[in-house]
Amino acid sequence: MEKTLQILNALERDGVLGRYAIGGAMGAMFYIEPVLTFDLDVFVLLPQKGDLILLTPLYEALKRQGYATEEGESVNIEGVPVQFLPAYNQLLEEALAEAQEIVYENTPTRILRAEHLMAICLQTGREKDRDRIRLFREEATIDAGYLDGVLKRFGLEEKWRQWIK
Amino acid sequence: MDKIDPETKRILTAKENRRQKLASLPYPEKVRAVVQLQRMAVPLLRNRNKRVCIWQIDSLEVSSKDR
Repeated sequence: MEKTLQILNALERDGVLGRYAIGGAMGAMFYIEPVLTFDLDVFVLLPQKGDLILLTPLYEALKRQGYATEEGESVNIEGVPVQFLPAYNQLLEEALAEAQEIVYENTPTRILRAEHLMAICLQTGREKDRDRIRLFREEATIDAGYLDGVLKRFGLEEKWRQWIK
Repeated sequence: MDKIDPETKRILTAKENRRQKLASLPYPEKVRAVVQLQRMAVPLLRNRNKRVCIWQIDSLEVSSKDR
């Protein structure tokens, strides 16, 4: 996976991506036990044309390097199917801006904060998100004050109360 | 609520401890665990016509039949 991250870093350095951070199951796994997943979800800031977010320049840049888009819009980069997800709302924009810097083996990368990953689960609202919230609460170290702030800012307090009943 | 017998309680506690231990593993080790999970799950998922593949990453020896 280190080579995959090096490619992502190069895309950011070259300005193809504005900023990226790992989210989804692989992001959650930084804080909780390993779970089965087949994609590396990567949240990205991308160039916009009016209201339209453009993924094409990213896919074209990857294609030039020999990484083609696969089924489901993921791109196999050095053996790992990467799913690029544009930061399409304010919660994701904040999550991306405040993602934490880590080093994977010898390569720097970013992972969304646990509190943002939990808020994204709440906003997405599927059964598997509910399970993930449970794992976060049981296994991760959460900054309760920070989480409260995120939930307030994005109107997720009521849903949080329902989910943790 | 039903009373849990000591042996069951011991097993549940050990299970909980194991999960906490897994949660505190270094991230690269968790990634290796994910690939192991993929290896276990892929044959079952492929039998159900799901198109999934095992990550081909450097730090693991992956046999060609997994590809």
